[in-house]
Amino acid sequence: MLETEELKKVFKGKTAVEGASLYLDKGESVGLLGPNGAGKSTTISMISTLLKPTSGDVRLNGKSVIKNPSEMRRVLGVVPQEIALYGELTAYENLKFFGRIYGLSGKALETAIQRSLELVGLMERQKEIVKTYSGGMKRRVNIAAAMMHEPEVIIMDEPTVGIDPQSRSHILEMVRQLNQEKGLTVLYTSHYMEEVERLCDRVYIMDHGKIIASGTKEELKSILSSEETVWIELDRPYPEFFKELQSFEMIKQATETEKGIKLILPKGSRVLGKVFQASERHQVQIINVNVQTPSLEDVFLHLTGRKLRD
Amino acid sequence: MYAFFKKDILVLFRDRTELVVLLAMPFILIAILGFALSGLLSGNSEVLSMEVAIVQEDDEEQGIQRFAEELGKSGLPADAQNGIMAAAEETSPSSMLQEILSDESLSSLVTAKEMDGAAATHALEEEEVVAILTIPEDFTFNALQKMMLGAGGGSELELLISDYAATQSEVFHDILEEFVWSLNFESAIARAADGEGAVPEEAQPLLGGVESVSAVEPISSFQYYTIGMAVMFALFVGATISAMAYVEKQQFVFHRILLSDHHPYVYLGAKAIAAALVTFLQFCILFFFSSLIFGAFDLTDLSFWPGMLLIAFSLAICVGSLAAFLIALTMRYNNDTITTVFAGGVVTVFAFLGGSFTPTEGMPAFVQQLGGWTPNGASLNAFLIWIQNLDISMLWEPLSRVFLITFLLLILSLLIFPRKGEA
Ligand SMILES: Nc1ncnc2c1ncn2[C@@H]1O[C@H](COP(=O)(O)OP(=O)(O)OP(=O)(O)O)[C@@H](O)[C@H]1O
Ligand SMILES: [Mg+2]
Repeated sequence: MLETEELKKVFKGKTAVEGASLYLDKGESVGLLGPNGAGKSTTISMISTLLKPTSGDVRLNGKSVIKNPSEMRRVLGVVPQEIALYGELTAYENLKFFGRIYGLSGKALETAIQRSLELVGLMERQKEIVKTYSGGMKRRVNIAAAMMHEPEVIIMDEPTVGIDPQSRSHILEMVRQLNQEKGLTVLYTSHYMEEVERLCDRVYIMDHGKIIASGTKEELKSILSSEETVWIELDRPYPEFFKELQSFEMIKQATETEKGIKLILPKGSRVLGKVFQASERHQVQIINVNVQTPSLEDVFLHLTGRKLRD
Repeated sequence: MYAFFKKDILVLFRDRTELVVLLAMPFILIAILGFALSGLLSGNSEVLSMEVAIVQEDDEEQGIQRFAEELGKSGLPADAQNGIMAAAEETSPSSMLQEILSDESLSSLVTAKEMDGAAATHALEEEEVVAILTIPEDFTFNALQKMMLGAGGGSELELLISDYAATQSEVFHDILEEFVWSLNFESAIARAADGEGAVPEEAQPLLGGVESVSAVEPISSFQYYTIGMAVMFALFVGATISAMAYVEKQQFVFHRILLSDHHPYVYLGAKAIAAALVTFLQFCILFFFSSLIFGAFDLTDLSFWPGMLLIAFSLAICVGSLAAFLIALTMRYNNDTITTVFAGGVVTVFAFLGGSFTPTEGMPAFVQQLGGWTPNGASLNAFLIWIQNLDISMLWEPLSRVFLITFLLLILSLLIFPRKGEA
């Protein structure tokens, strides 16, 4: 029902997004993954008609929304990355205002407020000033505000940044419910892999303003099906050992972390024997060795050579 | 629209510091300036003191004598003749005028100097006097004839007003009008007492004057600073509302508003209305408390307040468009420096030019001119005119300036404000 075609945005000579084509079918839950500065928020702003693309198009049910944003705005709920609320007002007053500007009034308004508050689990503390809320509570009101007009599509821009685990799992569960029980179409942006893995059917991976991979979780992981990840836990870093591993041709990628070394190898390569030989030469204490099935994190690492969160 | 400014006002009222700046500060300043500078305005009335030239072409004694002769020929009974004569000597308009002009309450305000015609004209040209009052030939005789006997066409005082000190000369004009009024009234009484029937509801215009009573009191320092501070702090409302809009933009609530598919002009308009409403409220509150605590104005004078509120309303609308203008610039350049500069400097300069701290009368002419074109200065003038009970038509000039400024700011804001919401 919603698609973008070759979206591009240039800010003062700096390309933030380029060639972003994605689509959302009705009732789908789609993830948009990418590290900081990948262009996720910029893409979302263009989809939600707040930002005019330098080129490309956004279509809702086949109709371009760039010249005619009204229909899009009606069906769309946007949860911005920032807490877009009046800190001086209570949650109730905030929702009342955002409901009003969507034309709600009287009983319908009151019902919408209570429905949204219930959704995010903030019924009891609705009369408190938002400024005094915890980060997690603010995030929840931020979501509730986007739900006031009962949108059909909801776009969430990193709705779980910087909050406690409890609020986080509440929000994740809520999004899952909205998508699976109420049939809302969801575009969920995050740089937390596990959130996207848990919530989304399909995933787009963005980096440096471009969509570098897309597909269902399984499809994406199958990129790695010809490879395996070997995780070698060490008692301390061994730079010499790591250096030697990097020189092995069979090893596609070697990453050093505090606790050990991560290797991506072609499946069935018999390179592990050589690795152990090398470890003996360098008198490396191996604590544990683990062969993992790939995660989206690994997919990302594979595609970009970088970790999602630095 | 209603939802927008209701929310704005709610947000503003939650913000204590803003409220203190907008309401408590001016009030404190009124108190300080009012007490400290109470001598400046009421004590020696420098603002409104003026010199006027009197050109006496009338010979009072001869006029009374001629009137006595006329009276003798009238064929009235001797008793009546004696009564009228006594009244005529008592109320001789020329003496009454002299008396009024040398009255103590006016002496601090008006200094009358008798001159001949040529000297008076010269003095007016040299700006030594603000007006020339000519008492024409046969003034006493003609006036008495009309007053006492209802005969002849009466007489007129001639007033030549300079245009360099409009306020003062208008005040003088008013003093004369009051005189004319009391003269008309007294003659009506005199004739009634004379058995000519009841007091006519409207006294015959005798000297061709307008019948308006004015109490020309010098403005008290509390009155002056209540207005001065009110018009100055009204400008801060513009800055405050604009700052609020910037916060909305910074915190992305503005995006939410755009997403609700309202034209950005609706947002701008609501902000302007909020600013106007807050300004008007601010005026009402300041006026009320200043009257209550400092006795600046008489709260029970029902004929006084409509004019005050009207002027306050005009400035409030102007502040509304000022807010819109500041918001337009802020949103356009995504930067609130303009608002900061406005609140931190421009308002003070405007307040100074417009006479909020000290009356501009003593300042150089170009400063006065400039000050008259600031919204606060123009409305301060309007308030002064109204409070001094001067001719209502004089209000038009300062008010039309306020309207013009309002209009210009509004047009500019509509042009500058990013219509798509995003620059
Ligand atoms: N208004 C703007 N003006 C100039 N550059 C911008 C603007 N908005 C975004 N950018 C740039 O565009 C790039 C993409 O930014 P964007 O906010 O879309 O990334 P993101 O994927 O949402 O990152 P994050 O995870 O940190 O939210 C960044 O390099 C950013 O600096
Ligand atoms: Mg972002």
